[in-house]
Amino acid sequence: MADEKEIETTGHQWDDEEGYPLKEYNNPLPKWWLYSYYATIVYAVIYWILYPAWPIPGGEYTKGVLGWSQHKQLEEEMAASQAAKKPFNDKISALTTSEITQDSQLLQYAVSAGKAIFGDNCAPCHGGGGVGAKAGGFPALVDDDWLYGGTLEQISETIHMGRAGQMPPHLDSAEGSFTAAQVNDLTQYTLSLSGRSTDAGAAGRGDALYRGDAGCNNCHGDEGKGSLLGSAGGEKLDTSIGAPNLTDAIWLYGGDEATVKTSIAKGRKGNMPAWEKDSEGNNRKLSELDIKLLSIYVHTLGGGK
Amino acid sequence: MKHSTIEKSIPLMSILTLVMVLIGGIVEIVPLFFIKSTIEKVEGMRPYTPLELRGQDIYVREGCYNCHSQMIRPFRDEQERYGHYSLAAESMYDHPFQWGSKRTGPDLARVGGKYSNLWHQAHMKNPRDVVPESVMPAYPWLAENDLDYGNIKKRMEVLQLVGVPYSQEQIDNAVEDLKAQAIPDSDSDGLLARYDEKVPLEDFDGEPARITELDAMVAYLQILGTMVDFSSYQAQAR
Repeated sequence: MADEKEIETTGHQWDDEEGYPLKEYNNPLPKWWLYSYYATIVYAVIYWILYPAWPIPGGEYTKGVLGWSQHKQLEEEMAASQAAKKPFNDKISALTTSEITQDSQLLQYAVSAGKAIFGDNCAPCHGGGGVGAKAGGFPALVDDDWLYGGTLEQISETIHMGRAGQMPPHLDSAEGSFTAAQVNDLTQYTLSLSGRSTDAGAAGRGDALYRGDAGCNNCHGDEGKGSLLGSAGGEKLDTSIGAPNLTDAIWLYGGDEATVKTSIAKGRKGNMPAWEKDSEGNNRKLSELDIKLLSIYVHTLGGGK
Repeated sequence: MKHSTIEKSIPLMSILTLVMVLIGGIVEIVPLFFIKSTIEKVEGMRPYTPLELRGQDIYVREGCYNCHSQMIRPFRDEQERYGHYSLAAESMYDHPFQWGSKRTGPDLARVGGKYSNLWHQAHMKNPRDVVPESVMPAYPWLAENDLDYGNIKKRMEVLQLVGVPYSQEQIDNAVEDLKAQAIPDSDSDGLLARYDEKVPLEDFDGEPARITELDAMVAYLQILGTMVDFSSYQAQAR
């Protein structure tokens, strides 16, 4: 305890009976604190003068003498970033995708720019680096097994317009027109295409259904090679159908018996959204330039044709 | 003026105390009178449909806001990743608003339309199935639980009370509108006329016959950030 005599009081004494005077100490604030406090007040006033600060009745506000605004700063940063990319972007806009892949410098730019666009927009479904995901039937982009084609033009078209899977349900309880036994036959036949059938009799009946009542060959082709590689009745199939090749070991939703059966019974409605900027100019969609860069990036992932 | 002068005069001390409290009150209260002027005039904003509204309720119930903000700030890195910065008008019908600054997951202010319904179904069931590095918990019960919309009218009436411009017609038809949006191929003319012709009518949860909580959740997520027509929006200098 400090000596009472050294401590300043407010000078007022409330009670001095019984020798215990009740006094109020006056403890001044530390000087460093007090002057720091005054400095913050000065800082605030300077801030009000320089930057936007006070609302004014009528919806306006004091703009500040510097004329700074957050939105203006954003516009400047966006413009600076656009200016830095402009030389590359101009060249890329002027060339076709195949011409760009001939120029190693432009290709390098397109791949790194495309990678950033891919990471934000495509990776959630197709996986980081395009490895795909079985859970929703999201195709891998790193292999050379394509549904709608792996040329630069086809990839670009897929990104522009999106794609809609159209495998119909077959089981009668799921809006189809086939019995559970028939669905089983079709499943066995499908497995037999990759040499994995466990019931030759069922597979034989499935074969008849495949090119008969169920009409699977109209999309998957007479030999089950899919709409891209296969043919039906001697004619090439429409490559925009997107029916997968059933003869290889690559499966969109899974190639085990139960999953194949589910695909046949309930159908599959895989959906690739369209990324073209819509007529409303909606901001989350991709620009023409973005799609070009993205097409080149996807094409370089491993399976580009 | 000395301590003792103020302390010994009750009227003087009362007046000075009142002055101090008034200054604090003015600084806190007066800006609220001007809050309307901070909301941009934009085209396209509409109140949530009954199904989307229940989706927001579930969003709040599951605590999505603990990890996801719904506010794109006006910085270049955010604009390049998420799209146009959020406008005040875009959350004017949100009660409570879902802004936030804590992002363990990405911002969702413009997640609408970015992913397909199928992706949302797989992602809610188990996020790791589609995003292997994700730390988001799984919400499999959304697809299992039937949506409870028994009190949807009451919910809309309460929102109307705090300023969401639901019309009496919208409230009267809430249950019909909810069903029309969640069940594909049902008669949706009334819903579209009452809200907006762009209201998405899809099979949000992959189960056409049932109305599940996932229907509401995905319907809500798919509309986020898509309402404002930015072609008609002129950025005000602010």
